[in-house]
Amino acid sequence: MKKFGVLVTLLTGIGGFTMCNKAGVFPDSGYDERLSGGIATAFDETSKSFSHEIPGLNDRDARIHELGDAAFEQTFVTAPAPVNSGLGPVFNNVSCISCHHNDGKGTPTAGFTTSSLLFRISIAGADAHGGPLSAPGFGGQLQDVSIFGKQAEVKMNITYSDLPVTYPDGSVVVLRKPAYNVLNPYQSLPAGFMISPRLAPPVFGLGLLENIPESTILSFADENDKDGDGISGKPNYVYDAFTKQTALGRFGLKANTPNILTQAAGAYNQDMGITSYVFPQESSYGQSQADGLGDDPELADSVLNSVHFYIKTLAVPARRNVTDVDVKRGQYLFTQINCSGCHKTTVQTGVDVNLPSVSNQRIQPFTDLLLHDMGDGLADNRPDFLASGSEWRTAPLWGIGLFEKTNGIPFYLHDGRARTIEEAILWHDGEAKKSKEAFMQLPKDDRDKVIRFLKSL
Amino acid sequence: MKKVLVPYLLLAFIVCAACNKAPESTPETEDFAALEKIVLTDFTNNIALSGYLNLSINATKLNIALTNLNTTTNDANLAIAQQAWKDMRTVWEQSESYLFGPVEDNDYDPNMDTWPTDYVQLDSVLHSANSLTVTDIQGFTLSLRGFHPIEYIIFGENSSRTAAELTARQKTYMISLATDLTNTCNDLYLSWASAPVNFAQQVISAGSGSTKYAKKQEVFLALVDGLIGICEEVGEGKMKEPYDAQDPQIVESPYSGNSTTDFKNNITGLRNVYLGLNGGKGLKDLVAVKNKSLDNTIQSEITAAINSFDNISQPYGSAIISQRVQIQQTIDALGVLKETLEDELKPFVIQYIQD
Repeated sequence: MKKFGVLVTLLTGIGGFTMCNKAGVFPDSGYDERLSGGIATAFDETSKSFSHEIPGLNDRDARIHELGDAAFEQTFVTAPAPVNSGLGPVFNNVSCISCHHNDGKGTPTAGFTTSSLLFRISIAGADAHGGPLSAPGFGGQLQDVSIFGKQAEVKMNITYSDLPVTYPDGSVVVLRKPAYNVLNPYQSLPAGFMISPRLAPPVFGLGLLENIPESTILSFADENDKDGDGISGKPNYVYDAFTKQTALGRFGLKANTPNILTQAAGAYNQDMGITSYVFPQESSYGQSQADGLGDDPELADSVLNSVHFYIKTLAVPARRNVTDVDVKRGQYLFTQINCSGCHKTTVQTGVDVNLPSVSNQRIQPFTDLLLHDMGDGLADNRPDFLASGSEWRTAPLWGIGLFEKTNGIPFYLHDGRARTIEEAILWHDGEAKKSKEAFMQLPKDDRDKVIRFLKSL
Repeated sequence: MKKVLVPYLLLAFIVCAACNKAPESTPETEDFAALEKIVLTDFTNNIALSGYLNLSINATKLNIALTNLNTTTNDANLAIAQQAWKDMRTVWEQSESYLFGPVEDNDYDPNMDTWPTDYVQLDSVLHSANSLTVTDIQGFTLSLRGFHPIEYIIFGENSSRTAAELTARQKTYMISLATDLTNTCNDLYLSWASAPVNFAQQVISAGSGSTKYAKKQEVFLALVDGLIGICEEVGEGKMKEPYDAQDPQIVESPYSGNSTTDFKNNITGLRNVYLGLNGGKGLKDLVAVKNKSLDNTIQSEITAAINSFDNISQPYGSAIISQRVQIQQTIDALGVLKETLEDELKPFVIQYIQD
């Protein structure tokens, strides 16, 4: 009887402990691969797939999201005006949506009403906070449009030349290499100025990315490449203009912005010439074309806050065709050739009791939010805080397969030079060279499968 | 001689037989998949292509009316131009119920219909000596182009414009604006009707060769999203924002007093897409096959929403102060309709249209 008692106790013990599975060790097969944003995922594959609010918002939050949505589309006009006053005097475009087409990317042209490409400018050296040193008379960004009666700071001329790439199997893809020329400056450009092209990135899923614990991002970093895989991964530490403190950079194409609030307020300020409580000075402050009006901040605090919340609560589009065998094969190869070395497949967000839908979610952003040397071909040769002239932040790949829907004509990479996902892969170099070469070594059929996988994101 | 006639007669017969309009050739069918294809074809021909062609024609008519007003500036010609503006507006607002494809991909919408008007820049432009050719207009920011600057010029604030008030600069500007608008509308129509985009073909061949839509379901979802979008735009944006703020200055199309008509036309456009036009099939035909009750609900909610606009008898700018109950009823009706489209019609499409 005693023996039986011991046996039962032992069995119960083993059984009990075996069932004590921690969430972290659940097998991958236990998760639905379509849920790129965890619970903050939206099932829609139309042109509006980037424009859905995360599920589970309470009525008040849903209303603020709605107000932010409306504000995101508002066109600004010249001050003084009864509605949306304060555009310019120099600017890049007139509303958030003009650049972030359907909350996604846009068109890589500059200076037109349909343009989504802008150029940062600086001169050698660093400012008091370690950021790029503004170009005298131009600030940190070139505004290539102006209100009537003022002059655009510059006009940009964009030309492309062919750059053929040949695969080991003999097939050829012709990339287009951009050349950017600054024309008609309203005053002399400073000697040795550096410019950097930036195409408006998609704005969904940012609440999730903002909620990834700093420790998680830093755990991906390997600045001195200790593991010898050729991939370093460097965090950018940047200046938060609102809190006036140094913080980890997460957003912007060089991870030069710490959070959504300063990203959104910065875009209002630099792209549209709209001042707010975060950036109360005009982008043209101190320049000869400054408006001299005492109407700052031009944007109501509530409007900036609602737009901030809108962006924070845009859901990630669900993946498609996740069980397709070709997509599965592509997914396997994506990891095999170590694209996932930087494009981190799975990340867990931190806890945010105020916003349960972005809290503690298992997401698939395909980014580590770190800087990587991408080689000379993609380099802008313009440092940005700790980012060197050839380093860029790993772009999140979620939603990349829907650009054809949201954008009409899709464009990829930081300046939209790539017209297809394949072209974008072939531009990878520097730390990504090994993976790119491994991709090029694959038979055509397998390369197509990698692209099919990427199109399922 | 008689024998010679026979081949000609045959040829004439073949040519005439080939000249079939799509709606007339639409066969009745019980086959759901075939019906899906017919709905897409009829939407493309009877609503999208016909709507954009009509828009283009109306843009030309507005252009002619403004040219006549420019040549002979009197109140009679001003009234004709104002009516032409409203007529074009009707067609455009109805087309806003299907804002997908080239109209969104190529930014035709903001090129034509950006709100608000930029008064300060408009005055600066008009008081300057700068050239006002079409090319100049195309270099302006969006708020200086399209419908609303024309509206401001020909209606004046509070619809009080007289022909005698029109200045030479205003007239030059309005002609260039109208030409720019006509060009945009022609481009929009051609992007549906012909190569290289030929978007009509992309929609019709959805699921069978379309490079834009791998499945028919994708177009149907785009259609339903368009319907939901316009309910939201009208009920939660254009009507609700000035209503909540009680601020007439944020009402769209205020100069012409056309706001409520615009809103109603938006929802009439929605009805056209749902029911089909000119004898063509619409979404209703698909819904009715599988779920007649849902079809009844949608139809009655559309009718209720459209009729509710008639209770708003004053110009919208004053109605937001004095007819708040009536406006709230319309906003509510649009909310109910949007909820049905979102919670029932969209899942219906996902469930039943899978090819």
